[in-house]
Amino acid sequence: MEKQMKRTKEILHEKLAGQPRTPLYSAEALASIRRTVDQWMNAVVRQTDRDNWHKTPHTVLGSDTPRELLYTPLSNPDLDYEQDLGNSGQAPFTRGIHANMYRGREFTMRQLTGFGSPEQTNERLRFMLDHGATGLNILFDLPTIQMYDSDDPFAVAQVGMSGVCVDSVEDMARLFKDVPLDEVTISIVTHYPSNTAILFPMFLALAEERGVPWEKLQGSVQNDITLEEVIRSGSEYIPPKDCFRIQCDNIEFIRRNVPRWNFITINGYNLREFGTSAVTEMAVAVSNGIGILDELVRRGYDVDATADRLAFFWSAANDFFEEIARIRAIRRLWYRIVKYRFNAQNPRAMLMRCHVQTSGVCLIQDEPRNNIIRSAYHALAAVLGGAQSLHVDSYDEAYSVPTEEAALLSLRTQQILQKETGVTDVADPLGGSFYVEALTRDIEARILDEVDEIERLGGYVKAIEDGEIYSKVASYFTEQQRLIERGEIALVGQNVYRSGAEGPAIDVFRYPEGVEEEQKARLQQLRLTRDSGKVRSALSALRDACLKGYNILPYSVACARARCTEGELFKVFKDAFGLWKPPALF
Amino acid sequence: MPLDCGNRPRSFDASQMIHKGHPIEKGERRDTKEMTKKIKVLLSKLGLDVHNRGIITVAKMLRNAGMEVVYLGNALPEEIVSVAIQEDVDVVGVSSLGGAHLSLGSLLLKEAEDKGLKDRVAFLMGGVFAPSDGERLQEIGFDGVFLPGATSEQIVSGIKNLV
Repeated sequence: MEKQMKRTKEILHEKLAGQPRTPLYSAEALASIRRTVDQWMNAVVRQTDRDNWHKTPHTVLGSDTPRELLYTPLSNPDLDYEQDLGNSGQAPFTRGIHANMYRGREFTMRQLTGFGSPEQTNERLRFMLDHGATGLNILFDLPTIQMYDSDDPFAVAQVGMSGVCVDSVEDMARLFKDVPLDEVTISIVTHYPSNTAILFPMFLALAEERGVPWEKLQGSVQNDITLEEVIRSGSEYIPPKDCFRIQCDNIEFIRRNVPRWNFITINGYNLREFGTSAVTEMAVAVSNGIGILDELVRRGYDVDATADRLAFFWSAANDFFEEIARIRAIRRLWYRIVKYRFNAQNPRAMLMRCHVQTSGVCLIQDEPRNNIIRSAYHALAAVLGGAQSLHVDSYDEAYSVPTEEAALLSLRTQQILQKETGVTDVADPLGGSFYVEALTRDIEARILDEVDEIERLGGYVKAIEDGEIYSKVASYFTEQQRLIERGEIALVGQNVYRSGAEGPAIDVFRYPEGVEEEQKARLQQLRLTRDSGKVRSALSALRDACLKGYNILPYSVACARARCTEGELFKVFKDAFGLWKPPALF
Repeated sequence: MPLDCGNRPRSFDASQMIHKGHPIEKGERRDTKEMTKKIKVLLSKLGLDVHNRGIITVAKMLRNAGMEVVYLGNALPEEIVSVAIQEDVDVVGVSSLGGAHLSLGSLLLKEAEDKGLKDRVAFLMGGVFAPSDGERLQEIGFDGVFLPGATSEQIVSGIKNLV
């Protein structure tokens, strides 16, 4: 916020106020509609409905945005087709980022996969590809996510659980055995900037060893400070400012060297699932996005040439129309921010491209098969909102990672949407709906208000350091719990329509056994066979780069080539940056 | 109590902790405890599990119900037991949503038994796992198991009945 004296909200208000507007509805038409509505209100609508004209829906992860009983042109009298909507593929991109939307390119069916050893996950990956999955989405186990080696004391009894274990480039090779790296788009769910800077270089080193040029690789990493410093519960944290720097180092390096790779997936999803509203999820992600573009500009990059690889990741929860409206709203808001705050010219740099995952927190253990229905509605909302790729949660994820049967059912849910329902034939099918347009406007304004709050606090990194983001999240999820216990948020089968009967038995996925021992043996073997001199010098060069402010990625790629392990790199980060203690949530 | 999830010493020896859980005989709870004394609860995330929304919610819930809550953040069995002894708590509640509820859960109870804590303190587990695993956790010695649908009332009264 140094040079930027004006806050984003002020800039947008000024710029938008200066645009000529051509409202859809003439004053004459509005006056006539007003008469009809008044007449109807008095003659037909009951007093109690008039008194409760606005209703605030309470839903899991909802934003409590009030709704009218009926939406009419009067709800959004200034709506301007060109300024507010545009055609699909045209500014302000409310109606979608491509002119032909799903006719041109189907949404990518990208189901998360990861458990056990690299070989076991590889088998599941190939099963999903054989059944029509069009992208891969790799999830790591807790020690890998938290950056400990499988033989670290912290990893005890957790190796290969809720994701796949990867300690070095050798495991990366096992994980992608027989997967053509230059043909499939691969999302590597690295979560944090720190582990992106460790794991993605292993992937790059693997590509190199297979003779696949980096220019041909397509996919994405997450690389999001929010995940590392706000959402994560862990034992050791590096300071937010260093984490933000690594996030930007990753972006810079990938932009220059792996041009078709999405260098960040600004992650709203996990913050939302941690417990925050439909609006805060997007406000936080946008604030991080603004911080990133500021930093890239500071490093001398042109927004037009960098922002085009920025991607977002959203959750789709229970309030159906809110989910649709907010994806449309954020597309418009992001366009406006990149155009007006950063003065971008390249339309591609202004696109809010996104992956959507259906909400896991909305899934309920009672009567688990109901979750199939929930996730299908979430998925439909994402498609009606114009998402680029989709993961549908499996009904048994209320218990564990999905069984093969449940994972296939999720893929089928997507295929049914795509092939049977016809919802992908028309771009932005709900555009122009009085309701959806008014809600899109309301949610855009609310997101911008929360972005403004964060900027008033001194920007995103500062808001993390000061604990402001934490306390916002903690008060939201405490309130959600209260609303659920009071029955104000209804959960079918849990707090309403509770059958009490034993639900049908479902198969629950069991983690394969013996992975920890196997992985430890491999690590021991690796440490014996690699060139320890090369390892030492690669790690020491990385440490130097951390301390001297160089971009660390070339050095971590060298570490990956030298067969350094994940834990060894994390140790370098901890030594170089020191540890940070996050503010208490309780 | 402050949240401690900064740089803590990592002093345990994992090789001593590889152990399969088995049913543990329940001993007598402290009957000298005065009814008026606040119930003291130690809460912790078990191992590296990243999901802490549930346990923070429970921590606030218990504090609102008049209990004294010590929140340890992420910790392994040895540290949990050692802090439980040091803080002289009545209840240890751990949270696991990452799949390690049985593997780390049994290590926790083994450690508690080795340090003579199992008979004096109630051990609770909350998190995401199959209901059959909830039964299994009770078989290996957890005094209470809470799944995601558990309400404040169920958790608070469950704890009051145990101490």
